[in-house]
Amino acid sequence: MLYKCIKKEEWDKTIEQLLLSYSIFACIKNDYGLDYELIKPSDIAKISYNKPKPATPLKSFFLPVRENVTSERVKEKPRIIIGMPNCDIEGLRLLDEIYLDDEFNDEFYRKRRERTLLLSSDCFSIQEHCHCLSYKIKPYSESLADLAVNNLNGTIVLRVLSAKGEDFIKEISAFLSPADNNFIQAIEKEHLSATNLLENLNTGLPDCKMTGELIKDSKSEIWERYSSRCVSCGACTTICPTCTCFLLIDKPGFEKVKQMDACQYPGFERVAGGEDALFELHNRFRNRYMCKYNWRPEKFSSTACTGCGRCIEACIGKINKNELFMELVNNR
Amino acid sequence: MPDNKNIYKPIRARLNDVIEESPSIKTFVLIPEDKFSFKTGQFIELSVDGIGEAPFTPSSSPLITEKLEVTVMKTGYVTEYMHMLKPGVFMGIRGPYGSGYPVETFFGKEVLILGGGCGLAPIRSLLYTLESIKEKLEKVILCYGSKTPSDCIYKPLFDRLNNTEKFEAYRTVDKADEEWNGAVGVATMLLNNIKINIKNSVAVVCGPPVMMKFGTIRLLEMGYRDDQIYLSMEKNMSCGLGKCGHCMMGEYFVCRDGPVFTYKEIKHNPEIWK
Repeated sequence: MLYKCIKKEEWDKTIEQLLLSYSIFACIKNDYGLDYELIKPSDIAKISYNKPKPATPLKSFFLPVRENVTSERVKEKPRIIIGMPNCDIEGLRLLDEIYLDDEFNDEFYRKRRERTLLLSSDCFSIQEHCHCLSYKIKPYSESLADLAVNNLNGTIVLRVLSAKGEDFIKEISAFLSPADNNFIQAIEKEHLSATNLLENLNTGLPDCKMTGELIKDSKSEIWERYSSRCVSCGACTTICPTCTCFLLIDKPGFEKVKQMDACQYPGFERVAGGEDALFELHNRFRNRYMCKYNWRPEKFSSTACTGCGRCIEACIGKINKNELFMELVNNR
Repeated sequence: MPDNKNIYKPIRARLNDVIEESPSIKTFVLIPEDKFSFKTGQFIELSVDGIGEAPFTPSSSPLITEKLEVTVMKTGYVTEYMHMLKPGVFMGIRGPYGSGYPVETFFGKEVLILGGGCGLAPIRSLLYTLESIKEKLEKVILCYGSKTPSDCIYKPLFDRLNNTEKFEAYRTVDKADEEWNGAVGVATMLLNNIKINIKNSVAVVCGPPVMMKFGTIRLLEMGYRDDQIYLSMEKNMSCGLGKCGHCMMGEYFVCRDGPVFTYKEIKHNPEIWK
């Protein structure tokens, strides 16, 4: 894999230059934690590298909460997004499968993907609910992102991951130097350390396939018990990097507004006659996990849960899906 | 290569006529402004401008492409608005979506069609198609049930079919009125009296969920195999494109993988009758 180095000061100046032609979003630590922000030159020094994970999932850049999908769009500036962890990058794989299929290609999604450069950042540390590795996702990107950006004590080490990333570094080649082995080894050491932390944190947590089987075989009692704390707020689906369900809303002039929706909301599957397969709360609650661990894997080749842990953090009922899965494992 | 067509944008269609089929069911005759065609059993998303859209399987013949008929039961928010529409207005159409009936696999066979209520709408489109290829079929039997005699739609259809070679059509009602002198009972009851060579037959079921369930159970009892039974599934299909997730039924998007499934394809999912 191709690595390049650039001094942090030069990198920051490069970003300042890039701000003239790109909209740049980056991970910034604010009062509430880490999140993506549209940056201006004064924010550049505050960009956070190598730390998981922004509160907002990456999907929000490609699937806005609400958008008119029938009106012509004003041409938007190309974008750079800096600092997303690999769990978010891997989430895009499923979105690409859904929105970029040959038969029904979503031009709104496609155009956003085409004009966005993805500069991911390896995780050198982990958070309480991180469990990407349990689902065979590494805490660092090896593909799909364009570049991985890592900050090693004042030196930015870039790992080139795509042709688009390669073109991009040509633009800034004047400041780049080849990365020597010490840097590469230092990064590999961080990879190993994050990997070990994840392994220790999630010992015994079943992988996606086994989780799917456990869910399939489970009795409704456990779903009734865990969902008794669910208020159907949809926070878990909203912050999930792979939940993509939406609703089309009609506006005068045969316009359609596409709005993110959630299977956790009552009435999601209700038909006009009144039948509703997901009427009961515990059915709705289980539906999301059946979707992630059984149905999507049967239909698509990408992983439908990337182990980011956001749904655990966002749940106001403090429902921890991994506790549920561990209980399923232990009761087997 | 993906083209640049906007997959969410409907085409406009002029509402040419509104036919009252029953107190709660109307047929909308539409003239699409752009070229539009469909295969029997495929569905469209039909919209009332600014109000909403809902999925319907056209009830007209797919061989007629200059106009389109959609039969709509007044049963929810959007359909109530549809029932207020007068000829001359424009409606929106997206589609066609889904896989439709695999009519070629019916060749050389006896086709049994079990329908209930507004489920006769997609069936009528199928019947037009089967009439056009009747030399390739052994026999077509329609068994249809409605709640009351006045709830029965397309009443002239039954006489026409009974006067068509190779076609038989039977009706029943759940509740008779004074003038009714036909069969009384659920649609599956009609299956007791038909003559059909089950081994060389396929069965098509389309109707309300309860009829789909008990119809399928009855057909299995009669000796139909699970891959001989075609079910037209009803779900809350919002986008029609296999993206929005509303019509997920297990691993299937009903809008894209269906709406017509064999019972074999979906029987492993305990939630299909919900």
